[in-house]
Amino acid sequence: MEFNKELLLEKGQFVLKEAEKLGATQAEVTISMRNSALTRLANSIIDQNVAERHATVSTIIYIGKKKGSTSVEVLDKDSLKQAIEQAAKIAKISPENKDFKSLPGPQKYSTEISIEDFVSKNTLNATPEQRAEFATLAIDSAHAIDKRINAVAGAISHIAVENLIMNSLGVEAYEKGTGSNVNLTVLAEDGKEQTAGWSADNRKDFTELHIQEVAEKAARKAADGFGMKYLEPGEYEVILEPAAVGGLMFFMSYFGFSAMMYQDYISFLRDKIGDKLFSEKLNLWDDSFDKRLVYQALFDDEGYPKSKLEMITKGVVKNLAYDTLTADKDGVKSTGHNAKFRGRSMPFPGNLLISDGNSNLDEMIAETKNGILVTHFHYQNAVNPTKGIFTGLTRDGAWYVKNGEIQYPLRTLRYTDSVLKFLANIDLIGKYMDLNDTQAKVPPMKLPAFTISGSQKE
Amino acid sequence: MRDLTEKALETCSKEGASYADIRIVTIKDEDISIKRGNIQALNITNIKGFGIRTIANGGLGFAGSYLVTPEEIKRVAKLAVRIGKASGATRKKPIEFVDVKAVEDSYKTPFKKDPFSVPTEEKIEILVEVDKRLKEYNPDVIKMTQSDYRGHREEKIFASTEGAYITQQITFAGGGFSCTAISPGTQPQRRSFPGSFRGNFSAEGYEYFESLNLLENVEKTAKEAIALTEAKACPTEKTTLLIDGHQLMLQIHESCGHPTELDRVLGTEAAFAGTSFMTPDLLGKLQYGSEHVNMVADSTSLTGLGTYGYDDEGVKAKKVDLVREGLFVGYQSSRETAAIIGLEESSAGMRADNPQKLPLVRMVNINLEPGDWKRDEIIADTKKGILMSTNKSWSIDDKRLNFQFGTEIAWEIVNGEISNIIRSPTYTAITPEFWGSMDAHSKDDWKLLGTPNCGKGQPGQVMYVGHGCGTARFHNVRVGITKEATATDGVQ
Ligand SMILES: [Zn+2]
Repeated sequence: MEFNKELLLEKGQFVLKEAEKLGATQAEVTISMRNSALTRLANSIIDQNVAERHATVSTIIYIGKKKGSTSVEVLDKDSLKQAIEQAAKIAKISPENKDFKSLPGPQKYSTEISIEDFVSKNTLNATPEQRAEFATLAIDSAHAIDKRINAVAGAISHIAVENLIMNSLGVEAYEKGTGSNVNLTVLAEDGKEQTAGWSADNRKDFTELHIQEVAEKAARKAADGFGMKYLEPGEYEVILEPAAVGGLMFFMSYFGFSAMMYQDYISFLRDKIGDKLFSEKLNLWDDSFDKRLVYQALFDDEGYPKSKLEMITKGVVKNLAYDTLTADKDGVKSTGHNAKFRGRSMPFPGNLLISDGNSNLDEMIAETKNGILVTHFHYQNAVNPTKGIFTGLTRDGAWYVKNGEIQYPLRTLRYTDSVLKFLANIDLIGKYMDLNDTQAKVPPMKLPAFTISGSQKE
Repeated sequence: MRDLTEKALETCSKEGASYADIRIVTIKDEDISIKRGNIQALNITNIKGFGIRTIANGGLGFAGSYLVTPEEIKRVAKLAVRIGKASGATRKKPIEFVDVKAVEDSYKTPFKKDPFSVPTEEKIEILVEVDKRLKEYNPDVIKMTQSDYRGHREEKIFASTEGAYITQQITFAGGGFSCTAISPGTQPQRRSFPGSFRGNFSAEGYEYFESLNLLENVEKTAKEAIALTEAKACPTEKTTLLIDGHQLMLQIHESCGHPTELDRVLGTEAAFAGTSFMTPDLLGKLQYGSEHVNMVADSTSLTGLGTYGYDDEGVKAKKVDLVREGLFVGYQSSRETAAIIGLEESSAGMRADNPQKLPLVRMVNINLEPGDWKRDEIIADTKKGILMSTNKSWSIDDKRLNFQFGTEIAWEIVNGEISNIIRSPTYTAITPEFWGSMDAHSKDDWKLLGTPNCGKGQPGQVMYVGHGCGTARFHNVRVGITKEATATDGVQ
């Protein structure tokens, strides 16, 4: 993909000018160019292999407090003109949004980081043949670990994006970037049992993906998974690997820390900001400038500058994530966390970090009397978000740990528990690990009490 | 357009593809949402693009672009072949497709009122009025209100090197509303109409949205939300469970729809959505449910969100048995997956949610065929049990065996009559045990319902699917499973 900021600026200015002609009192345009490719593995072959090229132009027109928006996948002037006219037409007939005050005005963006650092040339130049080579490396590395490995599945992908957000008040935010991912699920079979292991890595530079390490780690988990046993539901100590922590944090931040969820009476943090709800070992924040994260960003989906957001500090709930609409409603400032998805938008903190500790998985296992070790969770969902109750299933490896030693692998377990309970106490927090297996930067941790509500019998 | 599709297919053949198809698709979507009296979304989306699928060197390749021009089509055709060749190099044997009769045809889902001809103002007016009346019902308790409308249209062209040329127009519309009641010292309680997650949808025109009669249902819905704040919690026990359509549809979706997708069974989704306990060696042998359980995958039944003339591989719509009198007898499949297990033909189950996405095996209308009962007869025939309605939460394991669902509302059934309201109902079970316990399913309230929110694939796709069902009865089901967790009520 070739970046072309001038083209985006030209189209953006065109949209704003047309909007003004049509009577817009404020207008915002987002132009997003996206090239991506993904090679999907199944049964130790390349099963699906795709490439996409998108150009999306989203226009928001305000006439007073009335808003209209369109999103189109075209770039030619005639089609854009039509889309702008449609947005203006909708704005004219739309009821007023009483919470709306204004789009953000001109902004200063952080100079701490440079967008040139968001881009890897190697990712821009990645080819189908390189992906196939990585696929072969993944398949061969996994099969070399154990004879019982019978299928490597997963995906190897890369993406390049270029975004421009402009508004009629002077916002002009331009950003570009690249990313890549490998995630592998390795299956093993011994004639009686089928087991699975998983690992993943995320990098800006496609060629730096730790393909072999991911394949071997997933394969080892599958090989160590034979002899699965049933575990009686109940309360156990739990050791969560980083991917398991990352998955929980996603749900926690989505349902708990988004000001929209709070204002909609869905958040479990309602009337609890400032309270000490969690273990004082827990520090959670969002910081899109942190270079330890794979993906950085200067601004959110409405062009508002990102800023560091303290969410939990020493167990105390600090702040919610806001965009301009939710901020205006609460009479505060946006924190730069607007996220737009399919024509809707909400504040969402997605650049998460948890401070790491000094422990490691070995020590956590040694310290466990009666507990489980979890690789990651599958199919998590909120059972009762107002109480922070979530559910999910263990997947691709969970082990029973007794008196400091791993005893045996476990069949699928279901947890159903409230974050307000199981994160109220944390025994140990580990150091960050090598692989970026989630997009959040989180360490492994050991909790003293975690509720297993269901367990697979056979 | 035909010259474009021909050029594309020609380029693929010239570059060495043994098979190729192209889809040129435009999607139009109108999404309106009113929340707490305010516009939450009022958005029109227009997507245009194409996708080219090839078999080259025995492997599958796919590439797409938003730019429907001769030059771009040529570039993408070449790329699709190159990607196919790269895939082929890793295969043990070349990909094979079961035969399909290549046809030239066109198809259109019928509608009376074109959703895109009805003025947006009219839709907004209804939603605003619903939202207002919900709030007014009891402003002190109804704190959160939302009303939704969505209209959707796809125009698709499919052409293949086998000679197919098919044009289709698919239209669906629908909507709904929800409200949340909050009274001090109790948990917020949401109640939705007609179903949760923005209502219900049907492959019809605007007349379907009108037929929902949203305004007439405001009072009953708000009343139930408020009653839930005072209701007793779901007991923890094993009991007789009745489930009505707006929960049963999701039960069918998760525990029969997904595990009978043949691509999933064969490991394609092993790293993402998961696999399935319904493996080919169990076909014709597994007792999936009781003799009363009959499930079909039917892309021909009118008004379903899984209704079309041809799938995205050009296979004609059809009705396929999945479970017959409780026995597992069939799969939802594609030309490739059918060939792998030696089936004669595809079930016509391939769809993509975007011109630039690869078609996958997707649910069509997965229906639980009507039983002999009337809903009221099932209730009257139940001495002690719980009736649950409207999905609130779901979670199911990657083989689709162990599931847990929560619904918005439930009622106690005592001596054949509906009694007290129950809040935060949940149930959990193992798929074949659960369907094995079904002894009654109604016909009088049987409806073809639709959900536009089914996720699958990497990169992710969201598909709209249909589920026909009424009210069904199950026995010995564990309910009230969050008791352990709700015991933490005292925790801040
Ligand atoms: Zn689904």
